[in-house]
Amino acid sequence: MDQSVAIQETLATEEDCITSDRGHFETLVKAAVRTWHHKVAAFCFICVIVCACSVRLFIYTHRRMAITADDVSLEDIFPVSRHFEVVEVSSPDELAILGADTRIRVSFQEEVLEVSLPFGSHSRFFLGELNKAWSDVCKSSSHVPKFEWLHKHSKTTGGQAVIKQSLTPLGAKMTKLSKQTGLSQRLHTPDAVAHSPAHQGTRAGPEIAARAVQNEWERYGTCLGEGGAGREDRNDMVRSSSHTPANKAQMLSIPQFGLRDNLIRCELLKNEDQYTHLQDFSFFLATYNVNGQAPKESLAPWLSCSSSPPDVYCVGFQELDLSKEAFFFNDTPREPEWMRAVSEALHPDAKYALVKLVRLVGIMLMFYVKREHAGFISEVEAETVGTGIMGRMGNKGAVAIRFRFHNTDVCVVSSHLAAHIEEFERRNQDYRDICSRLQFRLLDPGCPPLAIMKHNVVLWLGDLNYRISDLDVDHVKNLITKKDFETLHNYDQLKRQMDEEAVFEGFVEGDIQFQPTYKYDTGSDDWDTSEKCRAPAWCDRILWRGKNIKQSTYQSHMTLKTSDHKPVSSLLQIGIKVVNEEAYKKKFEEIVRCIDKMENECIPSVTLSRRELHFQDVKYMEHQTESLTLFNDGQVPCQFEFIQKLDEPTYSKPWLTANPPKGFLAQGAQVDIDLEVFVNRSTAPDLNIGLEHIEDILVLHLERGKDYFLSVSGNYLASCYGTPISTLCQLREPIRDMPLPAVRALTKGGESPEGGDKPLGIPKEIWMMVDHLFRNAIKQEDLFQQPGLRSEFQEIRDYLDTGVPDSLPGSNHSVAEALLLFLESLPEPVVPYSFYQQCLDCYASATQSKKVISMLPQCHKNVFDYLAAFLRELLKNSDHNNLDVNILATIFAALLLRSPTKQDLAEKRKTQEFFQHFLVQDLS
Amino acid sequence: MTAAPYNYSYIFKYIIIGDMGVGKSCLLHQFTEKKFMADCPHTIGVEFGTRIMEVNGQKVKLQIWDTAGQERFRAVTRSYYRGAAGALMVYDITRRSTYNHLSSWLTDARNLTNPNTVIILIGNKADLEAQRDVTYEEAKQFAEENGLLFLEASAKTGENVEEAFLEAAKRIYQNIQDGSLDLNAAESGVQHKPSVPQGGRLSSDTQPAKEGCSC
Ligand SMILES: Nc1nc2c(ncn2[C@@H]2O[C@H](COP(=O)(O)OP(=O)(O)OP(=O)(O)O)[C@@H](O)[C@H]2O)c(=O)[nH]1
Ligand SMILES: [Mg+2]
Repeated sequence: MDQSVAIQETLATEEDCITSDRGHFETLVKAAVRTWHHKVAAFCFICVIVCACSVRLFIYTHRRMAITADDVSLEDIFPVSRHFEVVEVSSPDELAILGADTRIRVSFQEEVLEVSLPFGSHSRFFLGELNKAWSDVCKSSSHVPKFEWLHKHSKTTGGQAVIKQSLTPLGAKMTKLSKQTGLSQRLHTPDAVAHSPAHQGTRAGPEIAARAVQNEWERYGTCLGEGGAGREDRNDMVRSSSHTPANKAQMLSIPQFGLRDNLIRCELLKNEDQYTHLQDFSFFLATYNVNGQAPKESLAPWLSCSSSPPDVYCVGFQELDLSKEAFFFNDTPREPEWMRAVSEALHPDAKYALVKLVRLVGIMLMFYVKREHAGFISEVEAETVGTGIMGRMGNKGAVAIRFRFHNTDVCVVSSHLAAHIEEFERRNQDYRDICSRLQFRLLDPGCPPLAIMKHNVVLWLGDLNYRISDLDVDHVKNLITKKDFETLHNYDQLKRQMDEEAVFEGFVEGDIQFQPTYKYDTGSDDWDTSEKCRAPAWCDRILWRGKNIKQSTYQSHMTLKTSDHKPVSSLLQIGIKVVNEEAYKKKFEEIVRCIDKMENECIPSVTLSRRELHFQDVKYMEHQTESLTLFNDGQVPCQFEFIQKLDEPTYSKPWLTANPPKGFLAQGAQVDIDLEVFVNRSTAPDLNIGLEHIEDILVLHLERGKDYFLSVSGNYLASCYGTPISTLCQLREPIRDMPLPAVRALTKGGESPEGGDKPLGIPKEIWMMVDHLFRNAIKQEDLFQQPGLRSEFQEIRDYLDTGVPDSLPGSNHSVAEALLLFLESLPEPVVPYSFYQQCLDCYASATQSKKVISMLPQCHKNVFDYLAAFLRELLKNSDHNNLDVNILATIFAALLLRSPTKQDLAEKRKTQEFFQHFLVQDLS
Repeated sequence: MTAAPYNYSYIFKYIIIGDMGVGKSCLLHQFTEKKFMADCPHTIGVEFGTRIMEVNGQKVKLQIWDTAGQERFRAVTRSYYRGAAGALMVYDITRRSTYNHLSSWLTDARNLTNPNTVIILIGNKADLEAQRDVTYEEAKQFAEENGLLFLEASAKTGENVEEAFLEAAKRIYQNIQDGSLDLNAAESGVQHKPSVPQGGRLSSDTQPAKEGCSC
């Protein structure tokens, strides 16, 4: 059944449901934004919806089989964006079961939802599509999914009739939403978001209805306001590592998404403090808007102002080149010029290596380290984002370099935000755009792109262009003259916006103890005297985000006069996580060992109540059962099965069966298994003469786990049943009174070992039964037609085998049946197999038939004649016993003339006709 | 960093064989858990454990099958030899009888595994020096005569346990490197690339697709 149709009906025309799957909700892990407990284990559809270029995951609940749009209702929407994650998880319960549901965890920022999808290729396909969609989104770093189209899902009115109608259940919710708009807007504001997990957690039921859409608003909000303060300060990998040991092991055995790797990586990350220690390194950060000028003076006063050489330099420029060529072709001679100027001006007391340079039109960033640290720099990547004209061009925007220094991930951004005093909102927007659009693609294709905010340390510098507002120019200049920077700072747009948490959330800036760096008459320290006469402003700033960072200096450099800006620098002492190789190796080994251990613990295991089963005195055609209990004491459910040993056709000897022979056992559950012995005519002959014993070893196999051996032993009581006529003719005593080797010798050799006694004409057992019937049952109604009693059969068998009690027990019918069973049990039938074909060939002729019988081995011929005579006697009394030639021929031909192969119906008829010759009275 | 720096690229199947009570299960336990089991029950069946080891800079997953040593299970445990890349043949240095039975174990190992299977002889319980019943020298000679690796070890103290598994793994790895072990042969006991451990049926071991192996 394809629910896509019903779902497609709920969508607008431009929206397309690429694939959907049916699942049910598991648990909601830390659903920070809201709780969905009323929905636990409810059935749902989970669909990938595409509109234009953006992809969302829609979660629907449904009733019935979801035939029409009325049956489904939209519960939640997960934007498939860079914050989106879907991982496969498995609960320990499902471990080791092939065909178990696939459980996935969908997360978007703080929200996590676990859904079980049914096992099978459809779910695989679904996940494949979802992953594809997700990686497409991640790949196009330049492309920001626009989510506006979703808004219609939040509107009660408007949109096509189809939507309105199809979303009836949701529509009701929407009404509430409109009342909630105030709330959702408030949630946008930083202070509400800042405490969102706790705050949201307390929200109660009635609001649930409005949540789906409201969340969408929130997400949209946070998505734009990249790096929302509500985000917990931890790495994604740590988040995805909160699995139980059991399902970790499960994942190992199914190499997917490089899970074992990820697992080790997360464990390493989680335990980072055990093998790293913090060591301070000095970072010299510098920014300079050079107003399109070429370098004219030494930069040493700016870049070499620290007493000792810093460990790292991050030098940013803006307006490196204002020419059209630079703008359109992103090519400029300024780049090498300024690079040389910077390289020459670095601190003379150390040697530096330029690790990376990145430029977008006029925005440039250079990253140097002291030579001796170069070996500890890895995973260096650079990216750029333009936010200028048309929201794309590189006249404004940012360039960034990320790198790993020892074990700390650092990202440095040099940006040039929108100009003009009134455009502070625009600057905020630029910041958010940079945050959301600037993504580092890592070498490892398995890793999702890395956003700026995912780094341990973010250093942000540049011409941020925030101005001083609400003060007239003279007032500003007056405060500057008085060096009352504190008062002046209160009018700084950046400070104000940061205080409102509208921009640079989580960032810190040091105290500003220098006069505004903009705008001067080029070549002087004089404030702008041009026509526009711009008010001074702290355009050029340096901020940071992260732990263990201290600022040593934050200053401007008035001596440099090349530009209408003054350069700014800051020296930061940053605590970098330095790896202790020894401890790292130890931890690594420990984690690997721990994962190995989990894997070993997750090998299915059971305990057996007994490993040895003994069957005492097994008799012919008598069931014996011994039970054992299987208890699943392992950490995972298991599947057990008795399996065959090498070169054996079945898991046990033919006289033994296990019930059940296979099954499934949940953790902590147990099952009783019956082992049943039953010896029939095919297994009795060898057991009778000790060629075969009640002995076997069963192998109980656990899927993906251990094997257990079960020893079966016992003894079989020999019986005339299943013993050849020739042997029985040699036995004057009951078979059980005879030593086993003697019986075996008789059966094998065929001749009497004692030599003395003449063999009996017919086995005494046949004689006893026939004689008994002859004397007691000749007129028995329905003789050979009515079944005997099983218990009486056992007594008769025992009597024949032991001679106890004194006379043959049991009713006539039981004796009659015992006789039939006896004939059936003969390993070699009364008419031996070798004569069978001859009998078929001459069945039509009475004389020929008689001739064949006359050629049988003596004891067989005797038995044949004896039985035929007895049956003829029975027929004389057919008035009483209701027997006729047909009935007897049918019954006895099947026992006396057995085919060595499979018998067909025609053959059967022939044997009956053959035998009928011997039942005709006047034959002799 | 490569895409999968922590993952293993080979799986080697090992079997541990030898008389009952020589310490096969203890060796496995010591190897996988770094613990000694003082009163380990007889193995009545086949257990297995895994561990990832570094062999010549490569991560290798060892999948080790510990078999029952009791004589009465001998016929059944023979089913498990197939497809082993390595065999640990263990005797107890304090019980000569366990040493005397080695030739019969060796016959089984040779007959039931492929010619490239690496067999290492282990004289276990080396911590019980006072009760020694088999000298190092004679066992060493036996090993040399039969082309076996040899070590005395103690599952109790852990001495040489790691080494025993590693020595065999190194030899297997070497066989892979110099091409004498054909990874494509179904019975090589080595899988390249990680994959699901196969508990599998005893009898349903993958059949060699092409040439019928008549070893
Ligand atoms: N002193 C000492 N005792 C050991 C050592 N290894 C094993 N044992 C003891 O020997 C006994 C038998 O060890 P197992 O590991 O069960 O022997 P096994 O070879 O697995 O025996 P089966 O499972 O019956 O084939 C146990 O009681 C162990 O404690 C060892 O290195 N030193
Ligand atoms: Mg054992």
